Parts: sequence; C-alpha cells; structure tokens
Amino acid sequence: MHAKLLLPTLVLVLAAPARADQSLETAFRTTGPTVLAAFEAQRLVIQKSSAIIYDGRSEAICGVVISPDGFILTKASELKTIKKLAVTVDEKKYPEAKTVAIDEQWDVALLKIDASDLTPVTFAPTSAVPQGTWVVANGTTTRTHRRVLAGIISAKIREIPTAGGGALGIKLKPEAKDLEIDELQDKSGAKEAGLQKGDVIVAIDDKPVAKLEDLAAVLKDRKAGTTAKITYRRGEEEKTADVRLMARSEMSDEMNRNDAMSGAFSERRSGFPRILQHDILGAKSIVGGPLLDLEGRCIGMNIARANRAESFAIPVEDLKAIASRMLKN
Amino acid sequence: MKHLLTCLLTALLPWVATAEPARPYVNDKKAPENRKDLDAIQQALTEVLASARNATVCIELGEGSGSGVIVSEDGLVLTAAHVASGVNKDLTVVLEDGRKLKAVSLGVVADKDAAMIRIIDKEKFPFVEIERHDTTRLGDWVFALGHSGGFDKERGSVVRLGRLVRTAENTIQSDCTLIGGDSGGPLFNLQGQLIGIHSRVGVWMGIDMHVPINVFLQNWDGLLKAEFIGEGPFVKKPEKGKGFLGLASEARKEGGLAVTKVGKDTPAEKADFRDGDVLLKLNGTELTTREQFQDLLKEMAEGDPLNFDVLRAGQPLTIKLKLGAR
Repeated sequence: MHAKLLLPTLVLVLAAPARADQSLETAFRTTGPTVLAAFEAQRLVIQKSSAIIYDGRSEAICGVVISPDGFILTKASELKTIKKLAVTVDEKKYPEAKTVAIDEQWDVALLKIDASDLTPVTFAPTSAVPQGTWVVANGTTTRTHRRVLAGIISAKIREIPTAGGGALGIKLKPEAKDLEIDELQDKSGAKEAGLQKGDVIVAIDDKPVAKLEDLAAVLKDRKAGTTAKITYRRGEEEKTADVRLMARSEMSDEMNRNDAMSGAFSERRSGFPRILQHDILGAKSIVGGPLLDLEGRCIGMNIARANRAESFAIPVEDLKAIASRMLKN
Repeated sequence: MKHLLTCLLTALLPWVATAEPARPYVNDKKAPENRKDLDAIQQALTEVLASARNATVCIELGEGSGSGVIVSEDGLVLTAAHVASGVNKDLTVVLEDGRKLKAVSLGVVADKDAAMIRIIDKEKFPFVEIERHDTTRLGDWVFALGHSGGFDKERGSVVRLGRLVRTAENTIQSDCTLIGGDSGGPLFNLQGQLIGIHSRVGVWMGIDMHVPINVFLQNWDGLLKAEFIGEGPFVKKPEKGKGFLGLASEARKEGGLAVTKVGKDTPAEKADFRDGDVLLKLNGTELTTREQFQDLLKEMAEGDPLNFDVLRAGQPLTIKLKLGAR
C-alpha cells in the first residue's frame, strides 16, 4: 500500500446561486424515484429473493435467498455483530434464523430460516459482463416493501488483497517474561472476544507460544478476517477464545480523507479473492444482498461498500461455489 | 447569388450534423421509462468507454496523485488547477497501461480550477474529443472516469454513471460519485465527448462538481502559453522574491560571477552547478555584481525558468532550471 497522499478534492458547500442556475429535481436524479421506477422488473426480484436481516428493529444487512426451503447467504463479519437476529423475506418476518456455516476467506455466512416456498434468485451465467453494464441492488426498505438502487459495473474484476496482515489488536506488557496483555485496541477482535488486560497468551491454534517471536511467527501469514484460537491464562484459569484477526487499518480510528467523505463503509472491505466493482452508492446495509443484471438474474452478492465511489460484490461463479461448499457440509 | 449561398448552406447542414456523434434520444426524456431506454444508455456508454478510458491518465506530483485526460494526439492533457498546482511544474503522467511519462504543467485558471499540462515524451497518444457546441443539457446522462484513490493497474480507472443535475457558468454538478484521486479526471457525455473536469465534492453524498469544458475553451490560448490566470482559491500564485536557488557567488574582475558554494539539496545542486562555475548570463542578461544578480532573482517567483550561460573550466555551457521554493 502506498503511503501516498491523495490530492484533496476540496470539500465546499455550494454557495447560493448568484445567477440563474438550473437544477434537476431530486426525483429525476440517478437515485430518484422516477428514474428507479424504470427498474420495476428487477425490483420485483429484490422484493421476492433478497432478505432483510434485522438486529432488533433496525435493518442491519441484506441476504440472498438461494433455496425455497430458506437458505440465505449474507456477509459474515456483519452478521456476527448482530445481537437480536430476525429475517424478513418479501412481506414475511422470520424471527428464528440459524447460522449454518461461515466462509471466513470470502466473509460469507449461510443462514437457515424455517420456510418452504421462497423464490430463490436465478444465477446469471457469468459475471464477465462489460463495464458500463447496468446492475441493481437493494435500496431502502420498509417492513413489507423493498426499493432498489441502480448503477453500473465500474472497474475490472480482480482480487482485493488484505489491507495489511491480520493482527490481534493488543499491546503486550514490556519487560514481562510471558505474553501478558497490557492494552487492547477498542475496535480489535481481541476485545470483541472478551480478552482483558492482564491475560497471558499461552497458545495460538493450539501451538504453544512463549515469547514475542513465537507470536509473530504464528501470525505472520495470517490474513485479516480469519479467526485465531487463542489459549490464555487468567489468574489460575486457562481459557480459549476465537479472536477475529483484523487489519491494523481497520482497527485504527484515524480515518483518511477519502474515508471521511465516504459516510458509513464496511469494516471488512479487503481480503477478497475476486470481486466485481460497481458504483451503486448504497447504505452500508445493502451488503449481503444480491447484485442483479437487467434480466433480474443474480450476477453477484454485495460484500463491501469500500468507499463513496467503490462498492464490491462477489462474482456469481465464486458465489455459487461458496454456496455449494457450505450446503454440502 | 447570396440567396443561392444560403440554400447551399442549408442543404449542407444535415450532412454537417451527421459528422457529430448522435445525441442519444434518452437524454431528451425526463427519465428512462423502460428496458429499451435503459439499454440505450448502456449501449451508448459501453460503445465509447474504451476510447475514453485510454485517454484518461493519472497525474503524480510529489506525494500526491490526481487524474487528467489527453485531448490531443501530441499529448496535451486537461486537469484541475489544484492537481497541476501551478505553472511550469514537473509532473508524471501514468497511462492506463501503467507507463509513466514526464510532463510539465502549462497554464492554470486559478479561480475556476482549470489547468493544462503537456506530456514531454513525443509519441502519438490516444485522445478524446472535446464537446465544442454547447449541446450538453441539464439531466443529460454522463459518465466520470478517474483514478479514485490513486493509480491501481489491476483495477484501472473507475467509471461512474450519473446525470447532470445542476449547471451554472463556472460549475456543473453531476451525481457521478467522486472521491480523492479523481480530481482533474474527465466527465463525458454519452457520445464520449469531454464536457467537464472533476473539481470537488460537497459535504453530502451525491454532490460532485466539475469545471465545465467552456472554461477551458475560453482560456485556451492562455493555458497553452502557460499563463497564470485568475486568483486562487484552487492554486496560489507564487510570490515574487520568494524563489530559491541555493548557491553563493562573488563577482570576478574579468566579468561574471564565480560560484563559491552550492547548497545541499537545493535547486542549484539538482541542476548540477559546481564550485568554480562562472555565471555569465541569466536569461540573456549579463551578470556583473552579486547585488544585480539578486535583484534579477527578486523579480522572479517559484517555477520561473532560469537559463544560465556558464563557463566551466574554460568551456561554455548552458544550465536550465526552474526557480525553487525555500
């Protein structure tokens, strides 16, 4: 990653018009209802075959319905943060949903709800469509009615390497003879997993670690977004916890200028083997939902809102492979 | 006779009109209504995208990066003034395939965020047509290209589709979402003609501003002549007398000034001045005393070209450089 400074686009509030400016009414803008009305055919697919995943009463993320009997794909790292899970498909609410499987590498989770007559998405034959091709995704939603947003495929299909290797997000006590935690970063996986100051790490993935070099060697090639099993000593007790490894940049509160102008973006937005990029400027909560082509077929699954100009989706070929792997187990 | 000429002109008009790429009918609808309208937008965009992208470049300057677009076969590039950051600046242009080329900034329009630069390397470059007939209308479908967040060869430049949502004399606004690194990049109509250059974003999503191409066309000659047009806020005019060269000299009895010291990491050192060099002339003016030399430099500003006639070990040579900043 280049530590390059990007030339700032100056952030200015529009001054009051001094001359007879012309302005397009909101309804006719790209995200306006009049324009989006042209996507009614695709909206009907989003209505039937996308899931809205709630945390309590607020919409957290979306999902892709892949079977009539209630299997749904969504974004794993966001799902994990949900405390009171409930799912809505079309107009029906499902208060019970189980996480069946998780693919850490792709950040995809497989959910199961108790349903029997859902309409699964139809997969597109390929994600290799020209740039500039229309795509449609979830927009805002009410309890019963889905809206859509539209955009285009906007860059090459490619890998998004992990932004930095995976880290626990801890500081060790200096001069201690063992691996005693001195500090935990607020947004770290270690804190999330319940580790505390004073805990002493004794093993990672069942490999004993005694000094800093051991710890560094074990974590060296680990990717952000994967999980490490940490065995630690607290007082007399020995405990274990699954700690989500995160990129250092993800744990940092220092936002760069581009992030500052991007609104809410996905916490995990790197470390994907292959993505389709599009320009739909949706809320962070559209991740997990389907990306449709104009035929209404699923060309991918939205996996990250990277920033205000770039959104990522898992291409359909990979999505199908991930789904069938997870359904088999 | 006069009447005949008019007839002839009228007869020619339709033929002339077909030389311009056709404006997609969908632009004249308030909004697309059906699949056919959406397909028309997509088809127009995908047809012109490749050639628009080939002419879109990343511009690197020091630690920063912005975007630009090539508008002539010999390598004239339009960008934003805050990307070029001044006249006579050395820049690097990165083509879509990753090739890096040397470039220099020409003129800027400082109050409207317009700038022109020239690629120094000589070759035939891919370029885009400029929209010259003021055919762009509010609500037209447009697309933006740019190296969002900096150059990324695996990704390429990023395309975004939107509509022209606001027009004014010196600013047009679209709902193509821009971000840092896009500054200076091109905004196109669906015919693939250049209609604007990305300038800045608003504090809310969906406010993305561009310099209309007319600002460039109106200032074209001054831009070509590397003039500094207008006053801020997008680029500050270098002040006279604040330039920096970085060498010490003393007058010689036989004329000229002898260099007694070349400072470390100074423009003088980079231009390869050496102790003992004799400075005979600066930009054609004979140098006689230190005071006279300093007075000449005081009338110049950062970025101004310096052309020295020098004597080194009895041999004449010329050294060209730009006045630096302290």
